[in-house]
Amino acid sequence: MNKNFLEIDNVTFTASAKNKVNNVSLHIENKGDIICLLGPSGIGKTTILRTIAGLERIDSGKIILNNKVISSKDTHVEPENRNISLAFQDNSLFPHYNVVKNIKFGAERNKNKKKNLNIEDVIKFLHLENVVNKFPHQISSGEAQRASLARSLLSNPDLLLLDEPLSNVDQNFKEEIQVKLKQVLTEHKITTIIVTHDSYEAFYLGTKCGIILDGQLKQYDDPYNVYHFPNSIEVVNFLNRGTLIPARVTGENSLESIDLGTIKGNFIKHYPKGSNVKLLIQPEDLEHDDGSNLKLEVVDRQFRGTNFIYTLKTPNNLMIPVFVHSHHIHQHEVDEKFGIKRPINIDHIVCF
Amino acid sequence: MLWALYKMFLKKINIWYISSFLISLIVAVPILTVFSSFFDTTGNYSIILKNTFLYEYIFNSLILLVGVLILTFVIGVSCAYLVSFYSFPGVNFFKWALILSFAVPAYIYAYSLTAFFENYGTAFSILKNIFGEARYNSYIPKFDGMIGAILSISFSLFGYVYVLTRASFHYQSQNLIELGKNLGFSKKKSFLNIILPSARPAIVAGLSLVAMETLSDFGSVSFFGISTLTTAIYNAWISFDDLALANRLSFYLLIFILGLFILENFSRKKAQYHTPTKSGFKKKMPINLTGRKSFLAFIFCSLVFFVSFLFPVLQMLYWTISFPKHLTDLNLIKLFSNTMLLVFLSSILLISLSFISNYGNRVTRSKLLSILTTFSISGYAIPGIILAVAFITFISWFDNNVISFFGFKTIKSIFIGSVLGLILVYFIRFYSLASNGLKSGYLKINYSIDESAYLLGYSKFKTFTNIHIPYLKNSMLLIGILITIEVIKELPITLIMRPFNFETFATTAYIFASQDLLEAAAAPSLFLIIIASFFILITSRFILKD
Repeated sequence: MNKNFLEIDNVTFTASAKNKVNNVSLHIENKGDIICLLGPSGIGKTTILRTIAGLERIDSGKIILNNKVISSKDTHVEPENRNISLAFQDNSLFPHYNVVKNIKFGAERNKNKKKNLNIEDVIKFLHLENVVNKFPHQISSGEAQRASLARSLLSNPDLLLLDEPLSNVDQNFKEEIQVKLKQVLTEHKITTIIVTHDSYEAFYLGTKCGIILDGQLKQYDDPYNVYHFPNSIEVVNFLNRGTLIPARVTGENSLESIDLGTIKGNFIKHYPKGSNVKLLIQPEDLEHDDGSNLKLEVVDRQFRGTNFIYTLKTPNNLMIPVFVHSHHIHQHEVDEKFGIKRPINIDHIVCF
Repeated sequence: MLWALYKMFLKKINIWYISSFLISLIVAVPILTVFSSFFDTTGNYSIILKNTFLYEYIFNSLILLVGVLILTFVIGVSCAYLVSFYSFPGVNFFKWALILSFAVPAYIYAYSLTAFFENYGTAFSILKNIFGEARYNSYIPKFDGMIGAILSISFSLFGYVYVLTRASFHYQSQNLIELGKNLGFSKKKSFLNIILPSARPAIVAGLSLVAMETLSDFGSVSFFGISTLTTAIYNAWISFDDLALANRLSFYLLIFILGLFILENFSRKKAQYHTPTKSGFKKKMPINLTGRKSFLAFIFCSLVFFVSFLFPVLQMLYWTISFPKHLTDLNLIKLFSNTMLLVFLSSILLISLSFISNYGNRVTRSKLLSILTTFSISGYAIPGIILAVAFITFISWFDNNVISFFGFKTIKSIFIGSVLGLILVYFIRFYSLASNGLKSGYLKINYSIDESAYLLGYSKFKTFTNIHIPYLKNSMLLIGILITIEVIKELPITLIMRPFNFETFATTAYIFASQDLLEAAAAPSLFLIIIASFFILITSRFILKD
């Protein structure tokens, strides 16, 4: 008897002869968990969803849902018999029915079961009230995407698959819908796999995140761990939230960098003294201090509302991102000098 | 490897696969029969033919083809250009009225042309009534022989080029025209360098249909006494009872048609053409014509409308009124019910089976099935006569080799000279019309829509009935109407395959005309045109919209 709700065991997902995600093993422990798959475009994330939904077959490994093998080399449960719902990224609404009829198609499957969600509530939280009587060709791509999401939610699936569910949604709705969506999924214990290329969305929605790179599932962990403890340089580069700088291990808790001087903190992995490593510096690792004697040149400043992200150039031409709150005291123009507080203390030291 | 392929094949096998496979196979049978004729031995007539008239037949077919293609190109593209890009008096009327020429089959046009211009014909009567008795015959031009055939076929078929080119012009974005202006092109240069080349696929598609119909025309060429490959096939079979030779000649004709397709494909190379997209499309603003230009555009379209539609209608009407006895002699109810019976049965059969086949192809996504379907729909390129002959050849072969082998009663009478056989050959002939029509409807349905239905718990059958059929109902209606128009006009297959004493408007008109009783052919021709026009007017709603 398997304890996990969903188990993907050593499956190779094949989008084309050249485009494969090889030997993927992952599991969803509990009903109601939300996992997010992150990766660049065209890597095969959608293929994973299509395969789990039963729209593609597999040649190796197996997929088990609720203790039942739904895909293996010899078994293939047809999509209509899996009770898995997939909301496609592109408009997949039935073109000859209006929005509300399309949404009701989802609820129809659910008519003999205990109803979890109410149509009106879903329409409301997805802001679809004004388009319910319109036809798919009369609405925007964002509205179509939300209608498709509504249809999938109402079908009360055992497993909900969302392919870039909010990619076409206007930014002003996006954050609000993300919050509400997470609330609905959690409240109704809808087990969900979300594919996205937006790491913020993945970190917010997912109880776990999977990073797919170079035809492999590179890392599968809590969002916090994926961000703070990336397990490979590829993941660091993909998340693009830090810089690797050369450094030498000088002690149990210290390193020496030509550009930044002494850095202290807790290593997450042991490195012998004297080792040359690449140290991960993330934007929140350094602190601003105008009084410091470590000054670097500002080459770019991104205003993000709540914060600034400065890009600083070291004497060795390394570019280091630094996060500061967007208060006046932190304002520096490009070409100005930007002070870094010393000694540099990093909560956890990640090296490669 | 083989085992893996076999297992892959087995995975795809389901009821949809088998149905689609069988349907495509049935449609492909006559084509395969024609190809297999290459290995049959032919009678002495083939030697005689080769030494005497064969090259003349080929030459005549070529002249006819070139003449018709030039004329339909000029008329079809000019009309489409004028109604798409300009605004002038009557333009909205001409947009649909020019489609009415579809209602006049080439053979009826040929009767009208002859009747009007012949010695002491309608033209003579008009001149006599206006100017009094005189020797007008020598001044009235005679449009018979090759010229008559080219004119008859062209005015009856230019609609294909007009409709397809007009649709392509309709979808040309204003941006394209503005681009020409930006580059400093004159109107003529814009037309020749931008508008015309981007409509090329549509024009070529229209001309291909015209070419196929021209090469398969039987009614008008036989009326004008021109020997073409098609009439040679008919003669080989009817006059010399040489089925093998008829099939051999059909094979040559088929190769000829295939060559045209390949030539066009090569000439196009990898050029990409305009495809309409929702986002980048900007509606055209027609240019308002005034003064002399407006008058000329109006006159040109009026002339085409008059010559292609009003002229044959008025000629037939004139005769029907002048010789009322022929009208009263006709059993109109019988002719109408026979025609409609064929229309009804063939529409039902064609729509339902092509629906199943299309869905089967969609569901299984089998390459083999797709190739077989593509092969089978080339049946449209095969002249009706060839299909009928090939069908009879196959039934005879099947009866002689399979049925008699098992000692069963002959099946020839079930399929030859029966409504069933006739409907089956119609099915093969018009399968591509139905199948391609549905296919273009299906292309608008994204695969993710089917997949969404499956994921909402709908079986393949339920997806078919609840999603596809409601969505494609307009396409089905349009295809039904197009089949109706084709069946009403169809002549050679009906002539060959119909049961004894089973007549339609088309066969009645042809029989009278072939006996030189053109006055008697007028009434059935007129009814044929009226019924076909009625259906065309319904169809024009769709054609003009899409």
